[in-house]
Amino acid sequence: MATIKATMPGVFYRCPSPGAEPYVAEGSDVSEGQTIALIEVMKTFNEVKAEVSGTVTKFLIADGDEVSMGQDIMEVDGA
Amino acid sequence: MNGLIVHTGGLYTTVQDTGRDGYYEIGMPPSGALDQFSYRAANLLVGNPEGAAALEATYIGPELEFTDDRLVAVTGADVPVTLSGEPVKPWETIPVKAGDVLSFAMITGGARVYLAVSGGIGVPDYLGSRSTYTLTGLGGFEGRKLADGDRLPLGERPVGTAPAPGSGVSESLRPSFPEVAELRTVVGLCSYRLTDAALRSFLETTWKVTKDADRVGYRLRGGTLDFVEREQPFGAGSDPANVVDLGYPVGSIQVPGGDEPIVLLNDAVTGGGYATIGTVISADRDRIAQTKTGDQVSFVSVDIDQALAARRERRERLDRISNELKE
Amino acid sequence: MAATTLALPPARYEYGGDEFVFVEIDQAMSLEANFKAMTITGALRERRLDGVLDICPSNASYLIRVDPERLHPAELVDQLRSLEASATELTADQVLSTRVVDVPVLYDDPWTRETLLRFRDRHQDPGATDLEYAARLNGFDGVPQLVEALSGAPYIVTMLGFVPGLPFCYQMVPRDRQIEVPKYIRPRTDTPERAFGYGGAFAVVYPVRGAGGYQLFGMAPAPVFDLSQTLPDFAESIVFPKAGDIVRYRAIDQAEFDQVRREVEAKTFRYRIREFEFRPGDFLADPDAVNNELLEVLYR
Repeated sequence: MATIKATMPGVFYRCPSPGAEPYVAEGSDVSEGQTIALIEVMKTFNEVKAEVSGTVTKFLIADGDEVSMGQDIMEVDGA
Repeated sequence: MNGLIVHTGGLYTTVQDTGRDGYYEIGMPPSGALDQFSYRAANLLVGNPEGAAALEATYIGPELEFTDDRLVAVTGADVPVTLSGEPVKPWETIPVKAGDVLSFAMITGGARVYLAVSGGIGVPDYLGSRSTYTLTGLGGFEGRKLADGDRLPLGERPVGTAPAPGSGVSESLRPSFPEVAELRTVVGLCSYRLTDAALRSFLETTWKVTKDADRVGYRLRGGTLDFVEREQPFGAGSDPANVVDLGYPVGSIQVPGGDEPIVLLNDAVTGGGYATIGTVISADRDRIAQTKTGDQVSFVSVDIDQALAARRERRERLDRISNELKE
Repeated sequence: MAATTLALPPARYEYGGDEFVFVEIDQAMSLEANFKAMTITGALRERRLDGVLDICPSNASYLIRVDPERLHPAELVDQLRSLEASATELTADQVLSTRVVDVPVLYDDPWTRETLLRFRDRHQDPGATDLEYAARLNGFDGVPQLVEALSGAPYIVTMLGFVPGLPFCYQMVPRDRQIEVPKYIRPRTDTPERAFGYGGAFAVVYPVRGAGGYQLFGMAPAPVFDLSQTLPDFAESIVFPKAGDIVRYRAIDQAEFDQVRREVEAKTFRYRIREFEFRPGDFLADPDAVNNELLEVLYR
């Protein structure tokens, strides 16, 4: 089990744009380097990438919530 | 060419120095390192003049490869640093060789990291400064933040005695990052626009830094401030927060809509039509520069003499560092 | 000796932290307040005080940036008060050496129209264009009459700021003929470069693309900001306007717009500029006569 953390503070988004499909859903697989979310800060949207490969077991933060630096974003199993 | 090879640029890394004077009247802010204390200390640690050009990285540091022997120093935010994989200490003089790679882990305190290299960042001087002003794309390295693959020129290594490798800045002289950053503020400008209760509330509230916090300014949240009711003067516009457009000091605080104060910083918009209610003193722009989205700040009212005393105190701390390094 | 027609309150002196002194001449906009700000900042410039870094005359105020290690802000305030004491009245013999500039504008152009239609949800009157809204609000019969008023009388650049090169321009007409419009309810996130906008009692030309809250009335074919400094008028500075400039926002058609654009792209464009000895006292006594003279000098 691995936990992916926010590398910057800001506002957390699971979708590339409002109304779009989320980058990844709970239960789906991600591979290392894959974009899994966006964090908006300083007027830019920054991609959050998976640091490991595996299955997303749980999102630990909701879409649109504020996120702080180092905060846990999601759990990935099977790394 | 000797220089720095930028493996990764980080989130928002720019070349900065003490800033560009003399162009405020055309609408160009001074720019320059937001945390001047940490920036200047980094230069002192590598034997540079205090105002040499250095790098300012926000939230995520760059990864840089050196192409010759230099001294480097990392100051500002608390962050683990490695040189070619080996941990090195911030606030110390670090010797590097060609091929060495400097990397940063995640920041653990503060928001902005300063990196000075002996000889300084050798970008051309533009209107008297090497500071980057990204809004119009001038100064610094091509007027923009660093990108992966850039090659940054370095200046000639300074002649004379540089601090010995391992020289450091005493813990007591380094900035701390308290849970609530207190920003000493000279209340005034158009503060008459706020009711007495609103002005008290402004000073009593603990404000939170929003995601809209960059080198132009910091937008805060945490309370609502009421304006004195009035018939708006001619030319001011209809909103109670509006005044006839006027000049904004760097560090000044405005409250559009009454609920989200904005503190302007070194890349400030130089003027506009919102009532300004006070100015964060120059020494404490260093403090707000080390707060990040989600952090807390409060405002403490001081007078001009206290503001000038704080400025002298910062100067004395830098002089003490300079003396320590000469010993 | 003609005194100003408007009595101004005593100026208010405020410290903008340890690095700035802000001086409010008046809370309301007036040419008198601006002339006073220009007079004092002009006199300060001549004193060449060590430690004064920036002198920024603004609409009805001014801002000074100071290095407090070289000049104590309180000492600066003392100097400014003494300058104010000698500048309380505009006398007939006071002269502002300035330039009169012809600035072509294509009013109701396709580009700002496209932009403003994208942001109707942030506007006071989503069913109208900015020009239609402003015409109605200011009691004009229609957009052509508003454009005639905007284009007719010259403006004085009363402040530069917000971003580099943005001129705040106040029309040189008595207050009962001033055009006044509110800013957008919420600012737009986009404005084309060189858009001609209007907010409060000020006309502006946006130097660069970006956010903006002013009503959009037209587009200037010539820039006010040129970072490359390749146009002849920008040889000495990346920004063209100067505080105290007198400008006329002359209405042009699409053909002239295209012609100016070609000249700008060929780097041959030059603004029509005439030197002028402007006497604020004369102007306040008879604005229309001075405006006629200004336009005559400009197009002679």
